[in-house]
Amino acid sequence: MAVQWPLLIFSVLLGASSGILIFLGIGEIKGKFKSVRFALALTALILLAIGGCASALHLGHIDRAFYILGNMGSGLSKELFAVAFVGIMTLIYVILSRKDYPGPTKAFGILAMIGAIVLPIVAGASYMMPARPAWDSFTLPLMFLGTGIGMGFVLAAAFVFTKADSAKKETEGDTAKTALLVTEDDKKLAMTLALVGVVCSVAVMLIYVIWIAMAPHPDPSRSMMRLAGGDLAVAFWVCVVLIGMAGPLALVWKANKDMTHPVADNADAADGAVIAGAQDGAAVAIATPAAAKKAANVTPVTALWASLACLVVGSVVLRVIMYAVATSVEQLIY
Amino acid sequence: MTRHTMAIDLDSCIGCHSCAVVCKQENNVGLGTFYSKVLTIGPSGTYPDLEMYYLPVACQHCDNPQCVSVCPTGASYKREDGIVLVDHSKCVGCQYCVMACPYGVRTYDASKDKGVIEKCTLCAHLVDDGKEPACVRHCPGQARVFGDIDDPESKISQLIVKKKTHKLTDVGNHPSVTFGLDKCEWKGGE
Repeated sequence: MAVQWPLLIFSVLLGASSGILIFLGIGEIKGKFKSVRFALALTALILLAIGGCASALHLGHIDRAFYILGNMGSGLSKELFAVAFVGIMTLIYVILSRKDYPGPTKAFGILAMIGAIVLPIVAGASYMMPARPAWDSFTLPLMFLGTGIGMGFVLAAAFVFTKADSAKKETEGDTAKTALLVTEDDKKLAMTLALVGVVCSVAVMLIYVIWIAMAPHPDPSRSMMRLAGGDLAVAFWVCVVLIGMAGPLALVWKANKDMTHPVADNADAADGAVIAGAQDGAAVAIATPAAAKKAANVTPVTALWASLACLVVGSVVLRVIMYAVATSVEQLIY
Repeated sequence: MTRHTMAIDLDSCIGCHSCAVVCKQENNVGLGTFYSKVLTIGPSGTYPDLEMYYLPVACQHCDNPQCVSVCPTGASYKREDGIVLVDHSKCVGCQYCVMACPYGVRTYDASKDKGVIEKCTLCAHLVDDGKEPACVRHCPGQARVFGDIDDPESKISQLIVKKKTHKLTDVGNHPSVTFGLDKCEWKGGE
Protein backbone atom coordinates (compact mmCIF):
# COMPACT_ATOMS: atom_id res chain seq x y z
CA MET A 1 0.00 0.00 0.00
CA ALA A 2 1.14 3.53 -0.77
CA VAL A 3 2.25 5.60 2.21
CA GLN A 4 -0.63 7.75 3.44
CA TRP A 5 1.46 10.75 4.51
CA PRO A 6 -1.31 12.79 6.18
CA LEU A 7 -2.17 9.80 8.38
CA LEU A 8 1.48 9.05 9.04
CA ILE A 9 2.19 12.63 10.14
CA PHE A 10 -0.96 12.58 12.29
CA SER A 11 0.07 9.37 14.04
CA VAL A 12 3.60 10.64 14.75
CA LEU A 13 2.44 14.03 16.08
CA LEU A 14 -0.40 12.44 18.02
CA GLY A 15 2.12 10.05 19.60
CA ALA A 16 4.53 12.83 20.57
CA SER A 17 1.66 14.88 21.97
CA SER A 18 0.42 11.93 24.01
CA GLY A 19 3.94 11.24 25.29
CA ILE A 20 4.27 14.82 26.53
CA LEU A 21 0.89 14.63 28.29
CA ILE A 22 1.79 11.32 29.97
CA PHE A 23 5.10 12.91 31.06
CA LEU A 24 3.22 15.86 32.56
CA GLY A 25 0.63 13.57 34.15
CA ILE A 26 3.41 11.68 35.94
CA GLY A 27 4.82 15.07 36.93
CA GLU A 28 1.44 16.11 38.37
CA ILE A 29 1.21 12.92 40.41
CA LYS A 30 4.73 13.44 41.74
CA GLY A 31 4.36 17.21 42.12
CA LYS A 32 7.10 18.04 39.59
CA PHE A 33 7.62 20.08 36.39
CA LYS A 34 5.60 23.08 37.62
CA SER A 35 7.88 25.57 35.85
CA VAL A 36 7.59 23.83 32.45
CA ARG A 37 4.10 22.36 32.42
CA PHE A 38 2.40 25.29 30.71
CA ALA A 39 4.84 25.40 27.81
CA LEU A 40 4.89 21.61 27.44
CA ALA A 41 1.10 21.23 27.62
CA LEU A 42 0.74 24.00 25.03
CA THR A 43 3.28 22.18 22.83
CA ALA A 44 1.25 18.97 23.17
CA LEU A 45 -1.92 20.81 22.21
CA ILE A 46 -0.25 22.42 19.18
CA LEU A 47 1.18 19.07 18.03
CA LEU A 48 -2.25 17.48 18.34
CA ALA A 49 -3.85 20.36 16.40
CA ILE A 50 -1.24 20.20 13.61
CA GLY A 51 -1.67 16.41 13.46
CA GLY A 52 -5.44 16.81 13.27
CA CYS A 53 -5.09 19.29 10.40
CA ALA A 54 -2.69 16.91 8.63
CA SER A 55 -5.14 14.03 8.96
CA ALA A 56 -7.93 16.20 7.53
CA LEU A 57 -5.87 16.45 4.32
CA HIS A 58 -6.50 12.74 3.89
CA LEU A 59 -10.23 13.31 3.51
CA GLY A 60 -11.84 13.76 0.14
CA HIS A 61 -14.66 15.81 1.65
CA ILE A 62 -13.47 17.80 4.64
CA ASP A 63 -16.84 19.64 4.60
CA ARG A 64 -18.45 16.40 5.80
CA ALA A 65 -15.90 15.82 8.60
CA PHE A 66 -18.58 15.82 11.32
CA TYR A 67 -20.29 12.85 9.69
CA ILE A 68 -17.31 10.90 11.07
CA LEU A 69 -19.13 10.50 14.36
CA GLY A 70 -21.92 8.69 12.48
CA ASN A 71 -20.74 5.16 13.23
CA MET A 72 -19.23 4.87 16.70
CA GLY A 73 -18.37 1.24 16.00
CA SER A 74 -15.79 2.44 13.48
CA GLY A 75 -12.18 2.94 14.59
CA LEU A 76 -12.02 6.32 12.92
CA SER A 77 -15.06 7.61 14.83
CA LYS A 78 -13.53 6.42 18.12
CA GLU A 79 -10.27 8.11 17.14
CA LEU A 80 -11.99 11.44 16.49
CA PHE A 81 -13.82 11.17 19.80
CA ALA A 82 -10.54 10.40 21.62
CA VAL A 83 -8.78 13.32 19.90
CA ALA A 84 -11.61 15.65 20.93
CA PHE A 85 -11.47 14.41 24.54
CA VAL A 86 -7.68 14.79 24.81
CA GLY A 87 -7.81 18.17 23.07
CA ILE A 88 -10.41 19.55 25.47
CA MET A 89 -8.67 18.14 28.59
CA THR A 90 -5.33 19.54 27.41
CA LEU A 91 -6.81 22.94 26.64
CA ILE A 92 -8.29 23.16 30.15
CA TYR A 93 -5.00 21.92 31.61
CA VAL A 94 -3.08 24.58 29.66
CA ILE A 95 -5.35 27.32 30.98
CA LEU A 96 -5.21 26.05 34.57
CA SER A 97 -1.45 25.52 34.55
CA ARG A 98 -0.91 29.18 33.63
CA LYS A 99 -2.19 30.09 37.10
CA ASP A 100 -1.82 28.20 40.31
CA TYR A 101 -4.92 26.12 40.97
CA PRO A 102 -3.23 23.04 42.46
CA GLY A 103 -6.25 20.73 42.75
CA PRO A 104 -7.97 21.29 39.38
CA THR A 105 -4.63 21.50 37.53
CA LYS A 106 -3.59 18.13 38.90
CA ALA A 107 -7.01 16.62 38.11
CA PHE A 108 -7.02 17.81 34.50
CA GLY A 109 -3.34 16.87 34.10
CA ILE A 110 -4.22 13.32 35.11
CA LEU A 111 -7.36 13.28 32.92
CA ALA A 112 -5.29 14.47 29.95
CA MET A 113 -2.73 11.75 30.75
CA ILE A 114 -5.41 9.05 30.79
CA GLY A 115 -6.75 10.31 27.47
CA ALA A 116 -3.21 10.43 26.11
CA ILE A 117 -2.66 6.77 27.00
CA VAL A 118 -5.91 5.75 25.32
CA LEU A 119 -5.57 7.93 22.20
CA PRO A 120 -2.58 6.23 20.49
CA ILE A 121 -4.11 2.84 21.30
CA VAL A 122 -7.41 3.84 19.69
CA ALA A 123 -5.57 5.39 16.72
CA GLY A 124 -3.47 2.26 16.22
CA ALA A 125 -6.44 -0.04 16.67
CA SER A 126 -8.25 1.68 13.80
CA TYR A 127 -5.66 0.09 11.49
CA MET A 128 -6.33 -3.42 12.73
CA MET A 129 -8.01 -5.04 9.74
CA PRO A 130 -8.12 -8.73 8.91
CA ALA A 131 -7.50 -7.82 5.26
CA ARG A 132 -4.01 -6.53 6.13
CA PRO A 133 -2.19 -9.22 8.14
CA ALA A 134 0.76 -6.93 8.90
CA TRP A 135 -1.60 -4.56 10.71
CA ASP A 136 -4.00 -6.96 12.33
CA SER A 137 -2.37 -7.22 15.74
CA PHE A 138 -2.40 -5.46 19.11
CA THR A 139 1.33 -4.83 18.49
CA LEU A 140 0.35 -1.99 16.13
CA PRO A 141 -1.49 0.15 18.72
CA LEU A 142 1.26 -0.81 21.15
CA MET A 143 3.81 0.54 18.67
CA PHE A 144 1.82 3.79 18.31
CA LEU A 145 1.73 4.19 22.10
CA GLY A 146 5.34 3.18 22.77
CA THR A 147 6.94 5.31 20.08
CA GLY A 148 4.75 8.21 21.22
CA ILE A 149 5.95 7.77 24.79
CA GLY A 150 9.53 7.72 23.53
CA MET A 151 9.21 10.90 21.48
CA GLY A 152 7.08 12.75 24.04
CA PHE A 153 9.21 11.85 27.07
CA VAL A 154 12.48 12.75 25.36
CA LEU A 155 11.04 16.00 23.94
CA ALA A 156 9.76 16.97 27.37
CA ALA A 157 13.04 16.01 29.07
CA ALA A 158 15.04 17.98 26.49
CA PHE A 159 12.78 20.96 27.17
CA VAL A 160 13.25 20.61 30.94
CA PHE A 161 17.04 20.64 30.56
CA THR A 162 16.99 23.51 28.06
CA LYS A 163 14.77 25.51 30.37
CA ALA A 164 17.02 24.68 33.33
CA ASP A 165 20.06 26.00 31.47
CA SER A 166 18.39 29.22 30.29
CA ALA A 167 16.64 29.89 33.62
CA LYS A 168 19.95 29.49 35.43
CA LYS A 169 21.46 32.26 33.29
CA GLU A 170 18.43 34.52 33.62
CA THR A 171 18.16 34.25 37.39
CA GLU A 172 21.84 34.45 38.29
CA GLY A 173 22.05 36.57 41.44
CA ASP A 174 18.32 37.33 41.36
CA THR A 175 16.75 35.45 44.23
CA ALA A 176 13.28 36.79 43.37
CA LYS A 177 13.30 34.84 40.12
CA THR A 178 14.49 31.54 41.51
CA ALA A 179 10.93 30.20 41.24
CA LEU A 180 11.57 30.04 37.50
CA LEU A 181 14.27 27.48 38.05
CA VAL A 182 13.84 23.88 37.15
CA THR A 183 14.80 21.94 40.25
CA GLU A 184 17.36 19.16 40.40
CA ASP A 185 14.52 16.78 41.24
CA ASP A 186 12.72 17.86 38.05
CA LYS A 187 15.85 17.12 36.05
CA LYS A 188 16.38 13.74 37.68
CA LEU A 189 12.79 12.66 37.04
CA ALA A 190 12.89 14.04 33.48
CA MET A 191 16.05 12.09 32.73
CA THR A 192 14.63 8.90 34.23
CA LEU A 193 11.47 9.30 32.16
CA ALA A 194 13.53 9.98 29.02
CA LEU A 195 15.36 6.69 29.60
CA VAL A 196 12.08 4.86 30.22
CA GLY A 197 10.58 6.43 27.10
CA VAL A 198 13.44 5.40 24.85
CA VAL A 199 13.48 1.85 26.22
CA CYS A 200 9.73 1.70 25.72
CA SER A 201 10.02 2.96 22.15
CA VAL A 202 12.76 0.48 21.24
CA ALA A 203 10.84 -2.41 22.84
CA VAL A 204 7.58 -1.73 20.95
CA MET A 205 9.44 -1.23 17.67
CA LEU A 206 11.07 -4.63 18.12
CA ILE A 207 7.74 -6.23 19.07
CA TYR A 208 6.07 -4.81 15.96
CA VAL A 209 8.89 -6.05 13.71
CA ILE A 210 8.54 -9.50 15.30
CA TRP A 211 4.82 -9.35 14.47
CA ILE A 212 5.61 -8.58 10.81
CA ALA A 213 7.78 -11.72 10.79
CA MET A 214 5.05 -13.83 12.43
CA ALA A 215 1.88 -12.42 10.85
CA PRO A 216 -0.58 -14.98 9.47
CA HIS A 217 -1.12 -15.55 5.72
CA PRO A 218 2.63 -15.26 5.00
CA ASP A 219 3.57 -13.68 1.69
CA PRO A 220 6.87 -12.33 0.28
CA SER A 221 5.34 -8.84 0.07
CA ARG A 222 5.10 -8.64 3.87
CA SER A 223 7.90 -10.97 4.88
CA MET A 224 10.82 -10.32 7.21
CA MET A 225 13.08 -10.90 4.19
CA ARG A 226 11.91 -7.61 2.69
CA LEU A 227 13.16 -5.85 5.83
CA ALA A 228 16.28 -7.89 6.43
CA GLY A 229 17.68 -8.02 2.91
CA GLY A 230 15.07 -6.80 0.42
CA ASP A 231 13.96 -3.42 -0.86
CA LEU A 232 13.23 -2.17 2.67
CA ALA A 233 16.60 -3.24 4.11
CA VAL A 234 18.25 0.21 4.05
CA ALA A 235 15.20 1.86 5.62
CA PHE A 236 15.00 -0.85 8.25
CA TRP A 237 18.64 -1.28 9.24
CA VAL A 238 19.79 2.34 8.91
CA CYS A 239 16.71 4.38 9.80
CA VAL A 240 14.90 2.08 12.22
CA VAL A 241 17.57 -0.06 13.89
CA LEU A 242 20.57 2.27 13.85
CA ILE A 243 18.96 5.70 14.02
CA GLY A 244 15.61 4.86 15.59
CA MET A 245 16.72 2.32 18.20
CA ALA A 246 20.48 2.31 18.87
CA GLY A 247 20.88 6.08 18.45
CA PRO A 248 18.38 7.24 21.09
CA LEU A 249 19.48 4.54 23.54
CA ALA A 250 23.13 5.57 23.28
CA LEU A 251 22.39 9.29 23.41
CA VAL A 252 20.02 9.19 26.38
CA TRP A 253 22.32 6.79 28.20
CA LYS A 254 25.17 9.26 27.68
CA ALA A 255 23.02 12.22 28.74
CA ASN A 256 22.04 10.34 31.89
CA LYS A 257 25.66 9.43 32.63
CA ASP A 258 26.83 13.00 32.03
CA MET A 259 24.14 14.35 34.32
CA THR A 260 25.03 11.93 37.11
CA HIS A 261 28.83 12.20 36.84
CA PRO A 262 29.63 15.23 34.68
CA VAL A 263 33.24 15.86 35.73
CA ALA A 264 34.38 12.28 35.98
CA ASP A 265 32.96 11.44 32.57
CA ASN A 266 34.58 14.31 30.79
CA ALA A 267 37.91 13.39 32.29
CA ASP A 268 37.44 9.77 31.33
CA ALA A 269 36.51 10.68 27.81
CA ALA A 270 39.41 13.03 27.46
CA ASP A 271 41.69 10.18 28.39
CA GLY A 272 40.55 8.40 25.29
CA ALA A 273 37.96 6.08 26.77
CA VAL A 274 35.32 4.45 24.64
CA ILE A 275 32.16 6.50 24.72
CA ALA A 276 28.81 6.36 23.08
CA GLY A 277 27.28 9.32 21.40
CA ALA A 278 28.13 9.64 17.76
CA GLN A 279 25.45 11.19 15.58
CA ASP A 280 24.24 7.80 14.39
CA GLY A 281 24.15 6.55 17.94
CA ALA A 282 26.60 3.73 17.53
CA ALA A 283 29.28 3.23 20.13
CA VAL A 284 32.42 4.76 18.74
CA ALA A 285 35.98 4.28 19.88
CA ILE A 286 37.57 7.68 20.31
CA ALA A 287 41.09 7.40 19.09
CA THR A 288 42.57 10.73 20.10
CA PRO A 289 42.24 12.76 23.27
CA ALA A 290 41.22 15.81 21.19
CA ALA A 291 38.34 13.97 19.56
CA ALA A 292 37.38 12.54 22.92
CA LYS A 293 37.28 16.00 24.44
CA LYS A 294 35.09 17.23 21.58
CA ALA A 295 32.68 14.33 21.99
CA ALA A 296 32.64 14.78 25.74
CA ASN A 297 31.37 18.32 25.18
CA VAL A 298 28.02 16.93 24.01
CA THR A 299 25.84 18.22 26.82
CA PRO A 300 22.80 16.35 28.11
CA VAL A 301 20.64 18.97 26.38
CA THR A 302 22.25 18.33 23.00
CA ALA A 303 22.15 14.59 23.51
CA LEU A 304 18.44 14.70 24.37
CA TRP A 305 17.49 16.83 21.35
CA ALA A 306 19.62 14.58 19.10
CA SER A 307 17.89 11.58 20.63
CA LEU A 308 14.50 13.13 19.85
CA ALA A 309 15.54 13.65 16.21
CA CYS A 310 16.60 9.99 16.02
CA LEU A 311 13.32 8.83 17.54
CA VAL A 312 11.30 10.88 15.06
CA VAL A 313 13.27 9.41 12.14
CA GLY A 314 12.83 5.90 13.51
CA SER A 315 9.09 6.36 14.11
CA VAL A 316 8.44 7.86 10.69
CA VAL A 317 10.42 5.20 8.81
CA LEU A 318 8.86 2.35 10.79
CA ARG A 319 5.45 3.69 9.74
CA VAL A 320 6.62 3.91 6.11
CA ILE A 321 7.56 0.22 6.43
CA MET A 322 4.19 -0.41 8.09
CA TYR A 323 2.45 0.86 4.94
CA ALA A 324 4.86 -0.95 2.61
CA VAL A 325 4.13 -4.35 4.17
CA ALA A 326 0.37 -3.72 4.38
CA THR A 327 -0.44 -5.89 1.40
CA SER A 328 -3.77 -7.64 1.18
CA VAL A 329 -4.47 -11.11 2.38
CA GLU A 330 -5.80 -11.97 -1.10
CA GLN A 331 -2.70 -12.91 -3.04
CA LEU A 332 -4.55 -13.06 -6.37
CA ILE A 333 -5.35 -9.38 -6.22
CA TYR A 334 -1.97 -7.95 -5.27
CA MET B 1 -35.30 -13.75 2.25
CA THR B 2 -33.79 -12.50 -0.98
CA ARG B 3 -30.00 -12.44 -1.14
CA HIS B 4 -28.77 -11.05 -4.43
CA THR B 5 -25.31 -12.03 -5.55
CA MET B 6 -23.38 -13.40 -8.49
CA ALA B 7 -21.72 -16.63 -9.54
CA ILE B 8 -19.09 -16.67 -12.26
CA ASP B 9 -18.32 -19.80 -14.26
CA LEU B 10 -14.61 -19.36 -14.87
CA ASP B 11 -14.58 -22.28 -17.29
CA SER B 12 -16.81 -20.17 -19.56
CA CYS B 13 -14.94 -16.88 -19.11
CA ILE B 14 -12.92 -16.06 -22.24
CA GLY B 15 -11.13 -13.05 -20.74
CA CYS B 16 -12.60 -10.57 -23.21
CA HIS B 17 -12.98 -7.79 -20.59
CA SER B 18 -16.47 -6.99 -21.91
CA CYS B 19 -17.76 -6.96 -18.32
CA ALA B 20 -15.22 -4.31 -17.32
CA VAL B 21 -16.03 -2.17 -20.37
CA VAL B 22 -19.81 -2.42 -20.16
CA CYS B 23 -19.64 -1.70 -16.41
CA LYS B 24 -17.85 1.57 -17.12
CA GLN B 25 -20.47 2.50 -19.71
CA GLU B 26 -23.47 1.59 -17.57
CA ASN B 27 -22.21 3.27 -14.42
CA ASN B 28 -20.36 6.18 -16.02
CA VAL B 29 -17.15 5.12 -14.28
CA GLY B 30 -14.37 7.69 -14.59
CA LEU B 31 -11.01 7.35 -16.28
CA GLY B 32 -8.60 5.18 -14.27
CA THR B 33 -11.38 3.81 -12.07
CA PHE B 34 -12.77 0.30 -12.39
CA TYR B 35 -15.69 -1.32 -10.64
CA SER B 36 -14.81 -4.60 -12.27
CA LYS B 37 -11.55 -5.93 -13.68
CA VAL B 38 -10.40 -9.20 -15.19
CA LEU B 39 -7.20 -10.79 -13.89
CA THR B 40 -5.19 -13.42 -15.73
CA ILE B 41 -4.25 -16.25 -13.39
CA GLY B 42 -1.32 -18.25 -14.67
CA PRO B 43 -0.06 -19.80 -16.81
CA SER B 44 0.96 -22.37 -14.22
CA GLY B 45 2.25 -25.93 -14.34
CA THR B 46 5.09 -27.44 -16.37
CA TYR B 47 5.21 -27.58 -20.16
CA PRO B 48 3.30 -29.12 -21.86
CA ASP B 49 0.80 -29.36 -18.96
CA LEU B 50 0.13 -25.65 -18.61
CA GLU B 51 -3.11 -24.04 -17.55
CA MET B 52 -4.48 -20.55 -17.21
CA TYR B 53 -7.80 -18.97 -16.37
CA TYR B 54 -9.36 -15.54 -16.10
CA LEU B 55 -10.72 -14.17 -12.86
CA PRO B 56 -13.21 -11.30 -13.08
CA VAL B 57 -13.01 -9.40 -9.79
CA ALA B 58 -15.38 -6.77 -8.42
CA CYS B 59 -16.98 -6.13 -5.04
CA GLN B 60 -17.79 -9.49 -3.48
CA HIS B 61 -20.85 -8.06 -1.65
CA CYS B 62 -19.69 -9.82 1.50
CA ASP B 63 -22.12 -11.15 4.08
CA ASN B 64 -20.05 -9.47 6.80
CA PRO B 65 -18.47 -6.56 4.91
CA GLN B 66 -15.44 -5.05 6.65
CA CYS B 67 -15.84 -1.92 4.54
CA VAL B 68 -19.18 -1.29 6.23
CA SER B 69 -17.91 -1.84 9.77
CA VAL B 70 -14.92 0.51 9.37
CA CYS B 71 -16.85 3.27 7.60
CA PRO B 72 -16.99 6.14 10.11
CA THR B 73 -19.96 7.90 8.54
CA GLY B 74 -22.22 4.99 7.67
CA ALA B 75 -21.83 5.87 3.96
CA SER B 76 -20.95 2.25 3.20
CA TYR B 77 -23.97 0.11 3.91
CA LYS B 78 -25.52 -3.22 3.10
CA ARG B 79 -29.04 -3.42 1.75
CA GLU B 80 -31.47 -6.05 2.96
CA ASP B 81 -31.07 -7.91 -0.33
CA GLY B 82 -27.30 -8.24 0.30
CA ILE B 83 -26.00 -5.56 -2.06
CA VAL B 84 -23.24 -3.40 -0.52
CA LEU B 85 -23.41 0.24 -1.61
CA VAL B 86 -21.82 3.62 -0.89
CA ASP B 87 -23.99 6.66 -0.21
CA HIS B 88 -21.86 9.34 -1.87
CA SER B 89 -23.65 12.15 -0.02
CA LYS B 90 -22.27 10.80 3.28
CA CYS B 91 -18.83 9.64 2.11
CA VAL B 92 -15.93 11.75 3.42
CA GLY B 93 -13.35 9.96 1.27
CA CYS B 94 -11.30 8.74 4.24
CA GLN B 95 -10.39 5.55 2.33
CA TYR B 96 -10.56 3.29 5.39
CA CYS B 97 -12.89 1.00 3.45
CA VAL B 98 -10.28 0.76 0.69
CA MET B 99 -7.78 -0.44 3.31
CA ALA B 100 -10.28 -2.80 4.93
CA CYS B 101 -11.34 -4.48 1.69
CA PRO B 102 -9.23 -7.60 1.07
CA TYR B 103 -9.86 -7.51 -2.66
CA GLY B 104 -8.72 -4.07 -3.80
CA VAL B 105 -12.05 -3.45 -5.51
CA ARG B 106 -12.82 -0.06 -4.01
CA THR B 107 -11.35 3.01 -5.66
CA TYR B 108 -10.95 6.51 -4.35
CA ASP B 109 -12.12 8.91 -7.03
CA ALA B 110 -9.87 11.92 -6.56
CA SER B 111 -11.43 13.94 -9.37
CA LYS B 112 -12.42 17.46 -8.40
CA ASP B 113 -16.17 16.97 -8.09
CA LYS B 114 -16.00 13.55 -6.44
CA GLY B 115 -13.52 12.85 -3.59
CA VAL B 116 -15.54 9.77 -2.68
CA ILE B 117 -15.25 5.99 -2.90
CA GLU B 118 -16.45 4.17 -5.99
CA LYS B 119 -17.27 0.48 -6.25
CA CYS B 120 -19.45 -2.10 -7.97
CA THR B 121 -23.11 -1.53 -7.13
CA LEU B 122 -24.20 -4.82 -8.65
CA CYS B 123 -26.12 -2.39 -10.89
CA ALA B 124 -28.60 -1.87 -8.06
CA HIS B 125 -30.50 0.64 -10.22
CA LEU B 126 -31.13 -2.10 -12.80
CA VAL B 127 -31.82 -4.77 -10.17
CA ASP B 128 -34.46 -2.51 -8.59
CA ASP B 129 -36.01 -2.32 -12.05
CA GLY B 130 -36.20 -6.10 -12.25
CA LYS B 131 -33.22 -6.33 -14.63
CA GLU B 132 -29.82 -8.01 -14.38
CA PRO B 133 -26.51 -6.20 -13.85
CA ALA B 134 -24.94 -4.94 -17.10
CA CYS B 135 -21.93 -7.28 -16.84
CA VAL B 136 -24.25 -10.29 -16.62
CA ARG B 137 -26.39 -9.16 -19.54
CA HIS B 138 -23.42 -8.50 -21.82
CA CYS B 139 -21.12 -11.43 -21.01
CA PRO B 140 -20.56 -13.18 -24.38
CA GLY B 141 -19.54 -16.44 -22.69
CA GLN B 142 -22.59 -16.30 -20.39
CA ALA B 143 -20.15 -16.93 -17.59
CA ARG B 144 -21.89 -14.59 -15.13
CA VAL B 145 -25.09 -15.53 -13.39
CA PHE B 146 -27.00 -13.18 -11.12
CA GLY B 147 -29.83 -14.05 -8.78
CA ASP B 148 -31.16 -14.90 -5.37
CA ILE B 149 -28.84 -17.37 -3.71
CA ASP B 150 -31.48 -18.20 -1.10
CA ASP B 151 -33.80 -19.52 -3.82
CA PRO B 152 -32.77 -23.10 -4.66
CA GLU B 153 -34.60 -22.86 -8.01
CA SER B 154 -32.67 -19.80 -9.16
CA LYS B 155 -30.08 -20.06 -11.95
CA ILE B 156 -27.33 -19.03 -9.57
CA SER B 157 -28.16 -21.74 -7.03
CA GLN B 158 -28.25 -24.34 -9.79
CA LEU B 159 -24.88 -23.29 -11.17
CA ILE B 160 -23.33 -23.51 -7.70
CA VAL B 161 -24.66 -27.04 -7.25
CA LYS B 162 -23.31 -28.12 -10.65
CA LYS B 163 -19.77 -26.75 -10.38
CA LYS B 164 -16.75 -27.10 -8.15
CA THR B 165 -16.99 -23.75 -6.41
CA HIS B 166 -14.50 -21.38 -4.81
CA LYS B 167 -14.48 -18.03 -3.11
CA LEU B 168 -11.81 -15.40 -2.64
CA THR B 169 -9.85 -15.50 0.63
CA ASP B 170 -12.23 -15.13 3.55
CA VAL B 171 -10.95 -13.38 6.68
CA GLY B 172 -14.29 -13.21 8.38
CA ASN B 173 -15.95 -11.03 5.73
CA HIS B 174 -17.67 -14.01 4.02
CA PRO B 175 -17.60 -13.00 0.34
CA SER B 176 -20.88 -13.83 -1.39
CA VAL B 177 -19.66 -14.09 -5.00
CA THR B 178 -18.98 -17.68 -6.04
CA PHE B 179 -16.53 -18.81 -8.71
CA GLY B 180 -17.08 -22.11 -10.51
CA LEU B 181 -13.91 -23.76 -11.84
CA ASP B 182 -13.64 -27.41 -12.91
CA LYS B 183 -11.03 -27.35 -15.67
CA CYS B 184 -8.09 -25.71 -13.84
CA GLU B 185 -6.62 -25.74 -10.38
CA TRP B 186 -7.92 -22.83 -8.25
CA LYS B 187 -5.01 -20.59 -7.25
CA GLY B 188 -6.78 -18.50 -4.65
CA GLY B 189 -6.30 -18.72 -0.92
CA GLU B 190 -9.88 -19.63 0.09
